[in-house]
Amino acid sequence: MSQLLEQDRAFFELAQRRNVLFYHKGYFSHNIVAAMGEVVKLQLEIAGVSGPTRRKLFSSFVELSQNIVHYSSDSLQPDNVGGGSIREGAVCITTDGERHLMMCVNPVATHDVEGLRNKLEPLRSMSVEEIKQAYKVSLRADTPEESKGAGLGFLTMARDASAPLEFAFHPRADEPGTTLFCLKAII
Amino acid sequence: MDNLYIAATATSPEVDFRFDQHQLLLRGESYPENAAAFYAPVIEQLRQYLAESTGAVITVDVVLTYFNSSSTKMLFSVFDALDEAAQSGSRVLMNWYRDEEDETIAEFGEELKADFHAIEFTDRPVSHQGQ
Repeated sequence: MSQLLEQDRAFFELAQRRNVLFYHKGYFSHNIVAAMGEVVKLQLEIAGVSGPTRRKLFSSFVELSQNIVHYSSDSLQPDNVGGGSIREGAVCITTDGERHLMMCVNPVATHDVEGLRNKLEPLRSMSVEEIKQAYKVSLRADTPEESKGAGLGFLTMARDASAPLEFAFHPRADEPGTTLFCLKAII
Repeated sequence: MDNLYIAATATSPEVDFRFDQHQLLLRGESYPENAAAFYAPVIEQLRQYLAESTGAVITVDVVLTYFNSSSTKMLFSVFDALDEAAQSGSRVLMNWYRDEEDETIAEFGEELKADFHAIEFTDRPVSHQGQ
């Protein structure tokens, strides 16, 4: 009994040390994102985050979470079954001094990795002005065929972030067809 | 034609299009599961109304506090329809309500002004609108 409590305490202490404002790992559906959105808004307000930063964090949270709903390769049910998508991933929001970190992880098909890299890599070397310009162009362009939204999600996150988006791909040793996609925005 | 009313949900805005009074309102937050599916019927009815009401003076109040990337794209189509109407004989008076601190929504308003010259656009910053 006391040993279990000790382990639990270590878990909560670590979360506190890392200033975790919000963490969810598991399945994401539209309704789950909406409910989590309420939690995130409240947590950011209670933590005393300024209005403009709160809006940027909430915006990135919605884009990341909806990416998981739409694109994670781990789906709870086949897409053609009635109802919306339910897919697996994780989102974490922490604070580090004045900065806020928003991270997400979800599995993707390994053959989609190059496409994602080609979308994200160019954003890293763009200035804020260039990102805004690319956003304006995409807003007026036709939606890419493979997109389930507007093809504007990464640009929206890059626009809201205060540093280049960071990303990584970790192929799963036990499942070569699947790669873990990690994305981090600093706001 | 009949007016169009869609109540707000946590993730989709209130749509209150009083076509008989030429008063159109969008209010709330917009990040529906499928923005195209939400906005397509709204845009269809709007276009039908605009086609039938050439010469009208139309007031559009936009009070959106957040919209995600896919809604942004659909909103652009809404404003495109309004701009076409304003080019072909109607007057479109748009009130763009936003929190005075909200740069993102202010910038999107600027984009609209840049693209849609025929809409008579009024920026209406509000102090401490909501949270």
